[in-house]
This record gives sequence, structure tokens and C-alpha cells, in this order.
Amino acid sequence: MMKNKVKPNVTEMKKLFAIAGLIMISIHGYSQTQKIDSLIEVIDRHEGKINALDDRVLVNESDLGKLNKIKISGYIQAEFRNYQSGIVKTNDPYSTFLIRRARIKFTYEPLDGVKFVLQPDFSTGNLVLKDAYAVVNIPKIKDWTLWAGQFNRPNYEVEYSSGQREVMERSRVIRAIYPGEREIGVKLEYIGSKIPLKFQFAVLNGNFTGSQPIDVDTKKDLMSRLVYSVKLPQAGIGIDVGVNGYYGGTKAKANPFISRITGETDSVALGSYLKKQWMGGEIQIFADFLGGTAVKAEYMSGTNNFASLTGLTSTIAALKGDPNKERVFSGYYLYLIKNIGPRFQLVGRYDYLDPNTKTSGETSTTSELYYKTWALTTQYYMNDNIRISLQYEMPKNETNTKVPDDLKDNTLTVRIQAKF
Amino acid sequence: MKNKKIITIMLITVLMSTATGFSQAKITVKGSDTMVILAQKWAELYMKQNPATSVQVTGGGSGVGITALINGTTDICNSSRPMKQSEIEKLKARYNTLGVQIPCAKDGITIFLNEANKVEELTLKQLSDIYQGKIRNWKELGGNDAEIRMYGRENSSGTYTYFHDEVVKADYAASVQSLPGTAAVVNAVKKDVNGIGYGGAAYAVGIKHARVKKDTNSTAILPTAESIRKGEYPITRFLYMYLRNRPTGETKKYIDWILSEEGQMIVTDVGYFPYK
Repeated sequence: MMKNKVKPNVTEMKKLFAIAGLIMISIHGYSQTQKIDSLIEVIDRHEGKINALDDRVLVNESDLGKLNKIKISGYIQAEFRNYQSGIVKTNDPYSTFLIRRARIKFTYEPLDGVKFVLQPDFSTGNLVLKDAYAVVNIPKIKDWTLWAGQFNRPNYEVEYSSGQREVMERSRVIRAIYPGEREIGVKLEYIGSKIPLKFQFAVLNGNFTGSQPIDVDTKKDLMSRLVYSVKLPQAGIGIDVGVNGYYGGTKAKANPFISRITGETDSVALGSYLKKQWMGGEIQIFADFLGGTAVKAEYMSGTNNFASLTGLTSTIAALKGDPNKERVFSGYYLYLIKNIGPRFQLVGRYDYLDPNTKTSGETSTTSELYYKTWALTTQYYMNDNIRISLQYEMPKNETNTKVPDDLKDNTLTVRIQAKF
Repeated sequence: MKNKKIITIMLITVLMSTATGFSQAKITVKGSDTMVILAQKWAELYMKQNPATSVQVTGGGSGVGITALINGTTDICNSSRPMKQSEIEKLKARYNTLGVQIPCAKDGITIFLNEANKVEELTLKQLSDIYQGKIRNWKELGGNDAEIRMYGRENSSGTYTYFHDEVVKADYAASVQSLPGTAAVVNAVKKDVNGIGYGGAAYAVGIKHARVKKDTNSTAILPTAESIRKGEYPITRFLYMYLRNRPTGETKKYIDWILSEEGQMIVTDVGYFPYK
């Protein structure tokens, strides 16, 4: 029986295997095709999501790009002052805490070479607009910019922000001739990228003290400054030398009285201009000698005028007892600054102002005495944002029979400055 | 008498406080992305040889490095462009120095083209016109009739500023795509047949370098070691290190080593050129 065992048909077997193989392959292929199809679906779905995300990133980038054009910076200066008895302040305080500055600066740069700046000051009871100007790079003239609005007058100490300055207040001569530091007008500025030269020329209203929105006379005041920089890199020394000048005046509109240079009161024709004209020279020397060291000095002399209390308004009657004043003045300042390590500074400043060089001693009125002032300051930069300053200021005044002694007007100040 | 006391107290305060200001445990280096690989190699080798010293290197761009130098958050700033006058003024205001500029390597700004691009050479004027958006089609330069797509660096980059000041000499066209780092520029040009980019030679792998001519009558020069070292390649620049003050102590030792033969060999290894 067993002998009759049927031998398997090889051909048929091959066919069977081939069919089985085909079925297997087709099943596998079907499953593979299904997998590929579903993978394509998944990829398509994710591609859609990625494209949507791409669009959103582009929108966000565009929004962020706009925000990057706005820069906000600012600083707060909180301080404690201890006065000597000679300058007892209102309500008799010998010492006080005060907020000297609370400023926020908004800078918007919509394009390369175009900048808008707005800076209010929020210090106590004193919301004042300090800066409001536009700066434009003049097309096709490299290194030249045009400024328009309310900005610092072009002068070294004026433009040196109190956020950076090593002594707490500007020198007396600068405070006397550039009250409030700012002016309204236009300014042309050149800062050489190839030549180490800085040139500034401004046309200004000339009578700004912080509150007049418009000029009080038609003539505009002119101001210019030229600074040349010399570098001696091997010696680690840089020297900036410059000259500056002011040419302008104030119209005698309502008050026909003027206090002449020697002090006597006189009448002037209405409409005549009282001079504001002076020249100055400046030098700043920076030396890398055991750390940073700087010597800065400026001297200026000329004629300045001071409006009477009634001089700038036409509604109050002219007073002979309250005349406009025209004075020849001179003044200078000298800083010595030494950086000690990356965080400390030791500073000494001597400044001098004679508001009326034509009078001295008995002929000087109380407001026209000369002043020589020493200020000694130490600075500690806690970090990039915080600076702590300690200063002792010692003014020494001219004496006469009205002011027989040096006034007790020294001031000790401790200040904390936070900037961002 | 009272004045003297106050002044004495102020002086003592300063002297006591400054005693802590001199310690410098590590050297921080920040700035140019173009120089970051070079700076890292320098730091690695120096730390191997001087295990007691830690040198920390970060990029961010020359502008970022210079800001950090002014803010006092880095000891050394790497910059692929010279400091601007406005930046020197900030250093003067804070530290009463002009800063110290140390050229430490030379680099040629390479013009990257896609390998499929028919254009082989460009004049400085043509490059300026391309990046200002005045020349917009490769056809105007002997290439295919296709729009030119420009890639460049972000405005915090020294390469951006150097290329702007020395080549474009005007505002960049708004259509230039800003990318973070020269490697990204190279990558973009690699993928884009109609792309053009610029950057340091060290990153230029796998794409074509354009020959650059000073003007139409000059010879077109390829950015090679020889042409850059000799200053023949028209867009050759120094790479700098900046410090606030003249270096002392460990920082001086590190900088001296960078400028030594050994330090300058690394410059060559990375693909830049010795400073002298």
C-alpha cells in the first residue's frame, strides 16, 4: 500500500509555492501600501501644521521686529543731602531725602539712520518733558545727522548725562549759561568715521528755560562746537581738544530797563537786543595709567544776559527796580578722575564762576560774587545697573561787606542710581 | 576740621572697597560669531596647558561683545570690525580709557555662491548694487535669468557692519534675509541655486567662492590663504580682541600666548590667517 505512495508533483508544488508567495507578497504589499498611504497622510497633516506654524512664526517675527525698533531705557537717582547752615532750605531742613531724577527714555528707530527720542522726567512733583527730538542721517552725506526738536545744547558737560557724570551736578558756569541744558531748535552734527572730528552747529530759540513752547523773539541764537581727537594707542592716551561758541541775544520787549555791566540801571530802546555771546575752549585727556585716568577742563568767557522777572512777559509793567541784566562773565572747570579697578572711581573737581568780571569786592552785589568750588566724589559701580556715589562739595565765595564771610554752604550727598 | 574728617572717611571707604576689586578668577571672552570657533580652540588649548586658568568663550556677535565690554560683563571682546566712535565714547565715559585694540588674525570676507551658479566673479561695485537691491537678476551679471536672493547677517554682527561699511556703503536692501551666523548663510546658499551670501572663509565648506575684483579693470581674486595674507583679496579685514585697559596678569599671559607662534598656528588650523 505504502509502495503506491504518490510522489509529490514538483511542478504543482512549485506552482502552489508561487501562488502562496504571491498571496503573501500581495498581502504584505497591500499592508505596505496601506502603511505608505497612512504615512503620506501623516506627513501631509504635519506638513500642514508646520506650514501653519511657519506662517505664525513669520507673523511673530514681524511683530518682534517692530518691537525691537523700540528701546526703553531710564534711570532713577535717589539721594540724601546734608547741608551746612549757610544754605538752609525752605522750612529749615538741614538734611533731606529727594528723588533727583526719575526718567524714562523711549527711542524708536523705524529705519537705519532715523531715530525718534522722547524722555520725560517724573521726579517728585515735576513731570517735565526733557527730550523730544528726531535724528535723521542725511542721505548720501555719510557721518552727518540732522536733529530737530528739544535736545541738549551742544556742549561737553551739558551733553554728559548725569547718569554717567562723575560729579553730582554740572559746574556753576555751565548751569549759569545753559540753564535746564535743553533748547528747542535744529542741529547739524558731523561725527567723522574716518577723520577724528566732531562738529556741531545748532540754531536755537535761545530763551528756553523749560516752559516756553515758542520763542520770545524773532532772532535765533547760533551755537557751534568743533572737537578734534588725537589718539596715541601705544601710550594708551587719547586727547580731545575743542572750541565752542555762542552767538545770540534776547530782545528787550517789555522792560526798557537794563542793569549795565558795572551795575547802574539805565533805560534801553524797546526792541534792542541784549547780548548772549561767548567763546570757550575744552580739553579732555584720557590715559590708561594703572587703569583709566582722565583730566577734563573747559574755559569760557563772554557776555550773558539775564531777563528780569518781568522781562519775558508783556502783561506786567516794566520796573526800574527789576531790570534786565547784561554781564561779562568767565568760568571754568577742571576734573581729575581715577578709575580704581573695574568698580571704583575717585573724582575731584574744581570749578570757578565769576558772573560779573567787571565788579569785585564792594561793588559786587550778592548775586554777583564769584565762586570757587571743590567737589570730591567717590563712585562704586555695584553692577551694570546700580551706582552708589558719595560726594562732599565745598563752595568758597567772594566776600565783601554784605557777605563778610565764606558762606557755610558745604553739602554732603549720598546717591543711589539705578538705571536700565 | 569737619571737612578733613569727611574727606578722610571717603578716602578710607574707597581704599578698603577697592581691595576686593582686583581679584580675577577667570577670563571671559564674548563677541564675534565669526571668531567663536577660533576663540574656543584658543581657550581649549590654553586651558589644557594652564589648568589653573578658566577661559569662558561665548558668541553673540561683535556688537554684543562690545556692549558686554562696556557694561563690564566680559574681560575680552572679540570683534570682526573696529569699534565705532560712539562705542569708544561709551568706554571713555565709564572707564576713562579708549579701550585697547589687539589685531589677532586676518580674514577675508568670502562671497558665497551656489555651486550651480554660472557666475564666477563679481566687482565690489556689483556686490554693492546687489546688496542695495539695484541689481536684482543674475542675468545682469552673466548668469541665469533668475531673481537674486540675498543672505546676510544680523545687525549685531561685525561682519554685517564691516560688509556694510566697506562694500555696500549704503543701506542694505530690505529683501536681504538676516541669518544668525555665517554657517546659516552658507547653508542657505547651499540650498538656494539663486542665493548669494557673505561671511568668514572658515565656514565656507561645500559651496563656491566668487572671485572678487576691486573694479572692472582689476584682476578677479579668489579668497585664498596667499591672497588674504598678502592683502590682495579686496575684502580682507583684521579680526580683533578689545579690552578696557591694557592687559595685566593672567589676561596678559593669555593674549601674549594668542599672539605667539603657537596661538597663531591655531588661526591657520581654523582657516583664518595670522595677523602679521
